[in-house]
Amino acid sequence: MKKVDKEVADAYFKTRTRLVIIFLGVGFLVSFGVVAFAEFFSQFKFMGVEFHYYMGSQGAVIVFILCLFLNAIFSDKIDKKYGITDSANATISSNKNTD
Amino acid sequence: MDPQLFVSLGLILATFALYIGISIFNRAKATSDFYVASRGIPPLWNGMAIGGDWMSAASFIGMAGTVMALGYDGLAYIMGWTGGFLLLTFLLAPQLRKYGRFTVPEFIGDRFESNPARLIAAIATVIISFTYIIGQLSGSGVVIGRLFNIPAMYGTMIGVVIIAIYATLGGMKGVTWTQVAQYLILIIAYIIPIVFMSLQVTYNPLPWLTYGNVVDEIGAIDRELGLSEYFAPFAESDKSQFIALMFTLMVGTSALPHVIVRFFTVSTMKAARWSGAWALMFIGILYLSAPAYAAFSRFILMTQVANQPIEDLPAWTESWINTGLLQAADTNGNGMLDWTELSVGEDIVVMATPEIANLGLFVIGLVAAGAMAAALSTAGGLLITISSSFAHDIYYRLMNPQATDAKRLKAGRIAIVVSTIVAGLVALDPPGVITQIVAWAFALAGGTFFPVLFLGVWWKRMNTQGAIAGMLIGLLSTLTYIFLAMSGITLFGIQDTGAGLISVPINLLACIIVSKNTPPPAKHLQDDVIDLRYPEQMTYKDGEVWMNDGTDK
Repeated sequence: MKKVDKEVADAYFKTRTRLVIIFLGVGFLVSFGVVAFAEFFSQFKFMGVEFHYYMGSQGAVIVFILCLFLNAIFSDKIDKKYGITDSANATISSNKNTD
Repeated sequence: MDPQLFVSLGLILATFALYIGISIFNRAKATSDFYVASRGIPPLWNGMAIGGDWMSAASFIGMAGTVMALGYDGLAYIMGWTGGFLLLTFLLAPQLRKYGRFTVPEFIGDRFESNPARLIAAIATVIISFTYIIGQLSGSGVVIGRLFNIPAMYGTMIGVVIIAIYATLGGMKGVTWTQVAQYLILIIAYIIPIVFMSLQVTYNPLPWLTYGNVVDEIGAIDRELGLSEYFAPFAESDKSQFIALMFTLMVGTSALPHVIVRFFTVSTMKAARWSGAWALMFIGILYLSAPAYAAFSRFILMTQVANQPIEDLPAWTESWINTGLLQAADTNGNGMLDWTELSVGEDIVVMATPEIANLGLFVIGLVAAGAMAAALSTAGGLLITISSSFAHDIYYRLMNPQATDAKRLKAGRIAIVVSTIVAGLVALDPPGVITQIVAWAFALAGGTFFPVLFLGVWWKRMNTQGAIAGMLIGLLSTLTYIFLAMSGITLFGIQDTGAGLISVPINLLACIIVSKNTPPPAKHLQDDVIDLRYPEQMTYKDGEVWMNDGTDK
């Protein structure tokens, strides 16, 4: 066991939290944001159909999927930067379960 | 035996044999196998299993029909049911996974060190999962019943027996791998018909790229008929109801115990994040296709069935008119079937489309097998969740903590058989409209669990009293609003299906206010919550973070 500086530990948590807030914000805008101004967006067309309909039927879902994959990739990078290795995580995790 | 029945029956029996074979191969030997599949499922496969677990008969059979009937307003279901995975993967799943428990009630009981909280959570889990499973069993009954021309009742019974066999044998381990197989079957069965329809209507095999123009054309036909355009926003309901429904579905999705428990089957927080990403991709394939399904079906019905002489209706219409789900009558007596004289039941869109587009015996049978896969995979996951609430949370954690592994495993199996039989009996005579009951299950899950789980993993000050108050007040306010809305009293035009927008904030406030006014939780519980901020390799203890680099203990 090695002690981690408080600033380092806090920085890890802060970076991860910022990521979560950004992605949830994007997800909120493409779903609730577009719905709230659906009448306004209906004047634009995208892929053959009114923009508000496109966002509801395809756009929002595609953005959601991208958010989740980008979060998984960025989080892995952050873990790596802080010296976290996945195999160590898995071993520690399986010892800690209350199975 | 007519050839169609022969092909459909053959496909369904082949898939049943596959599911039972998989669960025999993955037979559960220890309680950890039975509840969380030994926590060794790789993220990609877990994502696929979440897809099978999550997409129910309602998604497979009903959603395209709902979008077709409601137009833009039906898209609240698409965004709500997919957006929930954002909340789940960002706010709950990795943290709950690091906590390392078997079930949601177990997390609540241990995090708040309270057996009353554990019991309330276990009972709420059973109520939510039971509401949901009744829909699945009725759904499989409808498919089997239609196929063999027997009453849906016997169909339900057959479905119940199949599910009970493979869930009892394999537990979570068996259910995981059957759900993977079921996902693959249901997605193939969903995509093939729309690819053919897209070819027929637009000469392009990629429906996702082409249906926008079809939606536009449908809108043009609507305009000609003097109806509100298909894509017009808020034609069927208020904007407030659209937002409330979308919110309820999102929050409900992220708090459904049978979905959360799937994240307990992977090894780490990282694996939980990747599971969520893969899951939404696999689910997205179906959800991106449902509006295309709706658009093509509506277009074919508008252009090839409507505006035809009433005597010349295509042959497939007859069998569906007999079921009462399709109504076509020349009410104004002009000898033609107008679009407004055609009424299409929401549940027949997916099931009837292969016939409407004339896709042949094999595809019709495949769609039937896909619908069964969707119903069975969700029912399997729900049964494990119900059984673990009884056998693990109530029997083992509350009644007999000394029970041996073998005894707990036996209790789990008995709980599955009993709950399957009870759910089957209720499903023989469902207590209302299925889609509505399913929407209530989401409002109940979000209203009871979401704020408690969310604050439980992120806010160390959250205590026992806050959790109990939150769950009880949330449950009560959800039920109250549903009943009020059903009897016509609504706030801001929000209907019963949008109850979550009312009850989730009330629950959240109850948790915060009660926690703030009662003593803080014990120090080790607060430390546990801060520990959830970090990956497994970092441990928080007494105000310091330690990195486990394998050098010493």
